[in-house]
Amino acid sequence: MVQINFSLKEVNCKIVYYGPGLSGKTTNLEVVHQKAPGPSVGDLTSIATEGDRTLFFDFLPLNLGQVAGMKTKFQIYTVPGQVYYNSTRKLVLQGADGVVFVADSKRGKMDENIESLKNLGENLKEHGLDISNTPIVLQYNKRDLPDVYSIEEMEQALNSWNAPYFEAVARDGHGVFPTLKRLAGLVLETLNENHAPRRSPSVVAPKGSGGGSTAATAVATRPTETLNATATSSTGKSTTRVRTTVSAVRTSAQAPTVRTRTSGIRPTLITSPRRRKRQTGMWMGFIVASIVAATVLLHLAGIIKIWS
Amino acid sequence: MVTDSDHLRNQRIVFYSEDIERIDAILCEFLKLSGSKCNLLIDKEGHMVTSCGDTDSIDEQSVAALVAGSYAATREMAKLLGEDEFSVLFHQGKRDSIQLSMVGDRTILATVFDDQTTVGMVRLYARTACEQMEEVFEEIARKPKRSGALDAEFGSSAKGALDFFFTE
Repeated sequence: MVQINFSLKEVNCKIVYYGPGLSGKTTNLEVVHQKAPGPSVGDLTSIATEGDRTLFFDFLPLNLGQVAGMKTKFQIYTVPGQVYYNSTRKLVLQGADGVVFVADSKRGKMDENIESLKNLGENLKEHGLDISNTPIVLQYNKRDLPDVYSIEEMEQALNSWNAPYFEAVARDGHGVFPTLKRLAGLVLETLNENHAPRRSPSVVAPKGSGGGSTAATAVATRPTETLNATATSSTGKSTTRVRTTVSAVRTSAQAPTVRTRTSGIRPTLITSPRRRKRQTGMWMGFIVASIVAATVLLHLAGIIKIWS
Repeated sequence: MVTDSDHLRNQRIVFYSEDIERIDAILCEFLKLSGSKCNLLIDKEGHMVTSCGDTDSIDEQSVAALVAGSYAATREMAKLLGEDEFSVLFHQGKRDSIQLSMVGDRTILATVFDDQTTVGMVRLYARTACEQMEEVFEEIARKPKRSGALDAEFGSSAKGALDFFFTE
């Protein structure tokens, strides 16, 4: 559950990556750890078996930065996917504010996906939550494999409540950020609805939004169809392909629009006190070393005399 | 009828500065009396609430997550043995040790200490500190819930932060 700490000026949210064994949950976290801006991501902690299978959970703290004066942090967890670790999965799921369900697209894995999703529903229910009312994003992973289910098949089997979904190849980093961004948006949107004064409905993250310096945004009522939109970045140097979900029934007013993100004031990224201290120490060391070196040089040049 | 969103909303924990100040005072007093190195107050989901003492050498967030995980796992063990939960856990190291004590039903007090003090001292004063903090939490629970705790700009600001952070 979300913790709002006005003393530390912090908002803490818990996100859990769920899914069958070997579907790519830990890989997702590793990619986030590698790609997220340095000062805003903490150490990746894994409680794993010797065979590198998750035993209890993986944990990654992520600092989103200042949001309306509050340091907004996500604690991201993965669960062990193997069937017999259900008791630990249940523990990790406790207090989750949002769930990414990572499904394996490889043909033959559908039964495991369905069983894991059913298990997620049951475990959420034990914590007093309904899967259809909890912020959840589906990720169809391993799309690069040669023999995969089609998106329609995945949707039909897994997404009965029309949750947002993303295709991904987590091993290569594709689709990892858009999935997390969408879920983080849903979590903050829920938080905003419940805790901010009601003024106007503000959408935290666009439906089916992608990452990148440009974003293709589609006004959608029901994400049932996948659309590839190509957007050119403001510099014109690179082209970003953005995958977004739009409604199958679309009016002209609801047509997808490609929008370039305006360069507003960027939110400050949080640096941990320990890192700040380390950086200050490095600078102090550098200054002291410079003074010593300059003194020695002046002495050698005969301008000043330190020792005879 | 209580809906799921109501359930979620009621479950959310909000700590206000005045409450944390009172908790900090209890923690710092406990730190002095017990001779421990630092105290961390962690909620059951693994979020840090507040801390006192020398925490520079500790990655607080990771410790908080592991403490919550460890506590949850031990509680399940207790249930299998017919106990509700084990209210105190103790991990002994060569240099530093850590004691975990349940405070109320939602937070855990993690006390890190070395050979400058003893387990007995920590346990003795931890009990008093936990009781004092439980009283504070009961008072917090009795207070009427404030609405509109976050800034009105939170939604739009969050959108900007997400766009910035997830730029690939």
